[in-house]
Amino acid sequence: MKLIEFQSVSKSYNGRLAVEDFSLSVEPGERIVILGPSGCGKTTVLRLLAGFITPDTGSISIGNELVARDGQNLRQPEERDLGMVFQDLALWPHLSVKGNLEFGLRARKLSASDRKQRIHEILRLVEMTEYLKARPTELSGGQQQRVALARALVLQPKALLMDEPLSNLDEELNRRLRKEILRLHQALGFTLLFVTHDREESAELGTRVVFMRSGRIERIESQPSPTAVVGPN
Amino acid sequence: MSRRLVLTLAVSVVVVAGLVPVLVMVGQSLAAEFHTGFAYYRGLLASGRAWTLAGHSLALSSITTLLTVGIGTPLGILLGKSDLPLRRSLLLLFAIPMAIPPYVLAVSWFNILGRGGTLAHWLGPALASHSSDWLFGLGGCVLVLATTFLPIVVLITVAQLSSIGPSYEEAARLTSGWTSTLWHVTLPLIAPGISLAAVVVFLLSLGEFGVPIFLRFDVFPVESFAQFSAFYNFGAATAAALPLGLVTFLLLFLEALFLRSRSYALRRGPDAQTMVIALKSRRTLLLVVLGIIALVLVVLPLGVLIVRSSTAGAFHEAIARGGASLVRSMAYAAAGATGLLLIGFLCGYLIQTRALPLWRKLDFLTVFLFTLPGPVIAIGLISLWNRSVTSFVYATPAIIILGYLAQYTALSSRMCASALEHVPPSMEEAAQVAGVHWGRRLVGIVVPLVRKGLVAAWIVGYVFCLRDTGMTMLVYPPGHDTLPVRTFTLMANGTPELIAALCILMVAAALLPLVILATTLRPTARMA
Repeated sequence: MKLIEFQSVSKSYNGRLAVEDFSLSVEPGERIVILGPSGCGKTTVLRLLAGFITPDTGSISIGNELVARDGQNLRQPEERDLGMVFQDLALWPHLSVKGNLEFGLRARKLSASDRKQRIHEILRLVEMTEYLKARPTELSGGQQQRVALARALVLQPKALLMDEPLSNLDEELNRRLRKEILRLHQALGFTLLFVTHDREESAELGTRVVFMRSGRIERIESQPSPTAVVGPN
Repeated sequence: MSRRLVLTLAVSVVVVAGLVPVLVMVGQSLAAEFHTGFAYYRGLLASGRAWTLAGHSLALSSITTLLTVGIGTPLGILLGKSDLPLRRSLLLLFAIPMAIPPYVLAVSWFNILGRGGTLAHWLGPALASHSSDWLFGLGGCVLVLATTFLPIVVLITVAQLSSIGPSYEEAARLTSGWTSTLWHVTLPLIAPGISLAAVVVFLLSLGEFGVPIFLRFDVFPVESFAQFSAFYNFGAATAAALPLGLVTFLLLFLEALFLRSRSYALRRGPDAQTMVIALKSRRTLLLVVLGIIALVLVVLPLGVLIVRSSTAGAFHEAIARGGASLVRSMAYAAAGATGLLLIGFLCGYLIQTRALPLWRKLDFLTVFLFTLPGPVIAIGLISLWNRSVTSFVYATPAIIILGYLAQYTALSSRMCASALEHVPPSMEEAAQVAGVHWGRRLVGIVVPLVRKGLVAAWIVGYVFCLRDTGMTMLVYPPGHDTLPVRTFTLMANGTPELIAALCILMVAAALLPLVILATTLRPTARMA
């Protein structure tokens, strides 16, 4: 069963092809890492999937439903049931940790008790329960990463998209958060699409690695499940 | 010269041009009042007229602010964030009233709604009598000032929207539609900017005197202006001016205290593009609605002026009676804009790089002077410079240029600071480690990187100097009147055709650089 499917997707900006003839199928629970140098089009792939931009040609399906096709977004971003962690995290500075997590849950019209339960559960998983009322600016870089992850996962999305979320962290924090992502994946079983230019990250996080260059898929490699690396922090 | 010295000199210019005159005025007033037992202040507080003036001033400022923020914010969102057709043209159209003296619009509306106006011609004198009664009062003043200051809110909204990193809104769009995203994410993020715009509109409305004088609505600045220019009663004029200065100071102080701390550092990459709201089927309807608003608020009043002025001889007489004033206006505005650019750039650099510890105070001072009513600045300048030893300033156009520097440095410094924000510090640092001196770094590296912003700052400075009436009216030396002043004084005995023609000349002189500005700044956007 395919959860996500790109079929011959192309996208250009100002006449320059950012993504060309991109085809990929993703199974539920897979961890796909899209690896490539800067400007190769890997972020564009995530943004196409999220619905922030429209493919010029080709189609994108999520859960067997066509969401975009040939210059048309058939489903708006909020109708695609995806979670995303941005490179700059994009935590809303005017809202507390609770406010950041609750925003999407309110949009999905969950009751107050359900919202409270979900927020408590996800914050417990990312070990941030005591920061419920904190503002993002009061948190350290690592804590902000955890909140961004929690905000995306609290919605229980069909897939989690991560756009180079670890690129600005020091090596130690980067390693810890990679383990964290794998631990959360083991606990929650979400489908992951992770964009990076770092081979070490791709080796540790991906069950399949999609190598991209100049907007095209160069090759796709399957990796042995790296769950063995998940151990105590 | 060292960086510290040059920046200190720039700050000194602002202090000498703006702060010292105001302090001297307050000092002189309080000293004189002390000897008379504060007769003017006691008289002002005891008279019912003062409270009527205060009530009028507050009503005018509050209603104008509510209207401009209520209309300007959604307008700014539509023009800055949506795929509405012709939004750049509409933005330019809505910005036009800010480029002309507010009383020009009052003249236009008088030509439409007055007893001998267009409405009377088409619909009869009975209806025109009602519309004229409405125009000459709070309603007319609000209409004109809201139209004049609407661009402040619209442009600040557009600028604030373009400063938000797109990922903040994208994160919200993953779960919510645009309405919820705008309400819960976008608006709270730009709220500090909108609040500042509201404070600025409130204070500018509070200090405006040209429109209330023309539309015969008594407010504090009119009282101050009348006491000074008609009776040359310095004590009564400053007594009426000081409450305005006090309110300005207090409001800006509160804004700085409560709102600046809530401003968010919104990260935005150099290549980040604004998310655009797809209006879909509502595009045409919204275009029609905005078109009608622009038609009523901008095109109609200016169109009426054009029609009224297009009589044989109107422009000939306008050139004969106001041509020299027009040339002087443009020359003084160009000199003022150049001075503003120089001082504003250095102040903007200081504020942006926080090169001196007083950067926050400098920012506050420039905004305070900008929002201070023109007559108050003018009375301050007269208090300081009207002495025989300083006649080389007071009796020459230098006093006008000083007034421009006092009143409008905030515009150029904020615009330059905003442009400098996009230059990574590493650009200058790379030249610094290569051993390049600060002055050379500034001229060779920083200035070329922000040249578009500097051009825009010069043009905005030129437009504001050109349209200035409140300050220039009181300080211009004999034989050095500007076109806005000339037009204002000719209103008493000039024909409506002549006044309309003078207004059109002023609009043309102001719009020329605005068109250049529109072609200089071209934002990029993408669809979502």
